[in-house]
Amino acid sequence: MPNNSTSNQVRLGLFVVVGVGCLLVVLYLLGRQQNLFQSSVPVQADFRNVSGLLKGNNVRLGGITVGTVKDITILNDTTVRVQMNLNQDVQRFVRRNAVASIGTDGLVGNTIINLTAGPGAAPAVQAGDVLPTSEQASLDAMLATLNISNQNLVGITSGLRQVTDKLNNSEALWQLLSNEQLPADVRRSAQNAAAASAQLAAAATDVRQLTAGVRRGQGPLGYLLTDDAFANQIGHAARQLAGTSDTLAVTLNGLQRQLQRGGGPVQTLLTDTTAARQLRQTLRNTAQSTAKLNESMTALQHNFLLRGYFRRQAREEARLAACAAARRARDSARLRE
Amino acid sequence: MSPGTLPQPAAAPAPRNAEVVLTLEHISKSFGDNHVLRDFSLELHRGENVVVLGKSGSGKSVLVKCMIGLLRPDAGRITVLGQDISTLDHEEMDQLRARLGFLFQSNALYDSMTVRENLVFPLRRQWLADRRDQEADLVQQALEDVGLADTANKLPAELSGGQRKRIALARTLILQPEIILYDEPTTGLDPITAREISALIRQVQQKYNTAAFIISHDMDSVRLVADRVALLAEGGCYAQGTYEELARHEDPRVHDFFT
Amino acid sequence: MFSSPFLAETGAIAQFAGRFFREGFRPRYEVREFFHQCYVVGYQSLPMVGITGFIMGLVLTLQSQPTMAKFGAEAWVPTMVGLTIIREMGPIITALVFAGKIGSSIGAELGSMRVTEQIDAMEVSGTNPFKYLVVTRVLATTLMLPLLTVLADGIGLYASYVGINTQGTTTLALFINNVLSGLTFAEVLPAFFKTFFFGFAVGLVGCYKGYHATKGTAGVGAAANSAVVVSSLLIFILDLLAVQITGLLGFN
Repeated sequence: MPNNSTSNQVRLGLFVVVGVGCLLVVLYLLGRQQNLFQSSVPVQADFRNVSGLLKGNNVRLGGITVGTVKDITILNDTTVRVQMNLNQDVQRFVRRNAVASIGTDGLVGNTIINLTAGPGAAPAVQAGDVLPTSEQASLDAMLATLNISNQNLVGITSGLRQVTDKLNNSEALWQLLSNEQLPADVRRSAQNAAAASAQLAAAATDVRQLTAGVRRGQGPLGYLLTDDAFANQIGHAARQLAGTSDTLAVTLNGLQRQLQRGGGPVQTLLTDTTAARQLRQTLRNTAQSTAKLNESMTALQHNFLLRGYFRRQAREEARLAACAAARRARDSARLRE
Repeated sequence: MSPGTLPQPAAAPAPRNAEVVLTLEHISKSFGDNHVLRDFSLELHRGENVVVLGKSGSGKSVLVKCMIGLLRPDAGRITVLGQDISTLDHEEMDQLRARLGFLFQSNALYDSMTVRENLVFPLRRQWLADRRDQEADLVQQALEDVGLADTANKLPAELSGGQRKRIALARTLILQPEIILYDEPTTGLDPITAREISALIRQVQQKYNTAAFIISHDMDSVRLVADRVALLAEGGCYAQGTYEELARHEDPRVHDFFT
Repeated sequence: MFSSPFLAETGAIAQFAGRFFREGFRPRYEVREFFHQCYVVGYQSLPMVGITGFIMGLVLTLQSQPTMAKFGAEAWVPTMVGLTIIREMGPIITALVFAGKIGSSIGAELGSMRVTEQIDAMEVSGTNPFKYLVVTRVLATTLMLPLLTVLADGIGLYASYVGINTQGTTTLALFINNVLSGLTFAEVLPAFFKTFFFGFAVGLVGCYKGYHATKGTAGVGAAANSAVVVSSLLIFILDLLAVQITGLLGFN
């Protein structure tokens, strides 16, 4: 029997208390982890496939463990019922339309059940509720998809290879690529196109000015009566028309000369009777048009509405001509002096 | 009996009239083919020292272990203080053992305990807490009886052979037994110490009027302590009588011990 | 009937165990001696068991870390080490150290008490030595080894935490969470309960060998030696049984 038995008993007591305490702490922590000491709400969910879920696996809501799987039973050949115990304190966060799905904790981790909130509002889950489920793409399904993608990729790459082979063996393409003339031609074409488009833009501007002018005027009648610019423009148009017919005449002369000389492509063109007839018709039309324009102009001059205008116009022209004549006379007189 | 005197032949009959405390009747014990005890019978009276003489290996230790219940005889009856020990259960045997003392040849002191703890151990075993207050007095008394009052806090290993024997005797005495069994109490001790121990055995007998059953082959000690001597030979009680009677015995077997 | 020393020994130990259950739970109860033995067997073994547990946890961590790093699973080291220590290494290493320290000391102590007749002396002075010596010691080893194992597990896990922090930084809270995440009751409780049997085996074999020691001081040495050998062997056999039984009960 020990002499100093009291202090030894104290040490023994300490030893026992620490040992038992350690054990109890571990058991308590484990119990808390498995929610043994917390009242829980049992809910259920039916799956087609639970992917190896086990009793005691975690149930997570938003990634936080909120319960554990209590039991797994097979209802029939396509339905597996999973009973879960949710912690009481998260009951109010789990809605009745929350969707349960099977997931994994990391790539090689445990199988878990994920709860995700369903759309819309719903009351909090109650004991015994059956939650809706969704079959999420399992790893197997993902791997199957990946396999198909893989096969597609093989097809694509083999096609790509054929294309490149063909390109490599095509001399025409390489000639095209090595031709130095081609870029210059292309550049010139581009410049022409740019010029054409600039002209087009200018034309468009003209048209816009025209239409804008019409819109600004207080009715075409008033406008025509008041605006000098319009009269100028009409005059200008007439002059141009006249210019055009002059040019046309020159062209026709040229053509006639060519025909008489009997050479060049034009002759070939014109020896075709149909083409010659059409060309003649066109020329005739042009002549008729100019004749009608002349008639119109004459009619305008005699129209009572515009008579004043044209008279004034004539007067103005006369005055200008007189001024010019006077100036000319003055100039010549001054020169003579 | 007067203290300090050698046993007289005339003194021997006196205890015979006293109450018989221990009876051995036709004890037999064998280990395999070795028949150690064959039909051994002996009586022990209150206040009497009986020495059993015998050669080494003649079964003396077996005899004494049978008496205390450490061994069970194959045949025969042992009656201790009026109780047939073969009929006793463990509990009753323990109660009976409290009235017996046993001094081991090797002392059998608990070497992990101090002298005091060795003495207190049987006290605590036999009593419950109600007599705890007498503990220190009894330990002191027992140590004074063996003349080693100042060794209470020593360990057995720190004591000499004679001191250890005395402490072992003190441990036996502390329960104030009615019968003390001594298994070769003087073996391994020098002659002077052996004589001291023998004197101590006498003193104990006179002080407490205990009966003693002493196994020995130390004739010096036998002469000092024995009221009656029994000779154990061939498994049986070959001869008995006072020291003087046996010393004068003509049988060569008996005679050999006394020469 | 054939005679086999092995079967005879097994039978004798079984009988000894039977005697323990027959006598151990009847009065009188050696309460004082029981507590003293608990102190000797439990508290005084703590330094040895603690050092072993610390080294075990540290070495296990440092050894597994490079391998786990190869698989990119360094974060799993606490979980793995925790599982290993609590389920297997803690109980078995502690039990073996315990068998070496306590089994041999019980064997030697009772053996020397036997050969110097101290056990007989107890019997003679009205004490049942079986209750006083054997029951108290067997009960003490049975109850103390689980506690020692729990403490050794704790120290081993702390050492593992230290080991992990030599290579990087992990907070204690994360470490504990990692360890706990790999554990369930079905893993902790069988591992805990089997240590009761380990402790019982160490105490019983040590007491049996010592109580039946013969042939003087050489017998004491033999008793101490065979107490360690037999109880170590028994620990492994019990461990195998524990695995099978927990497997049958569906805890694995």
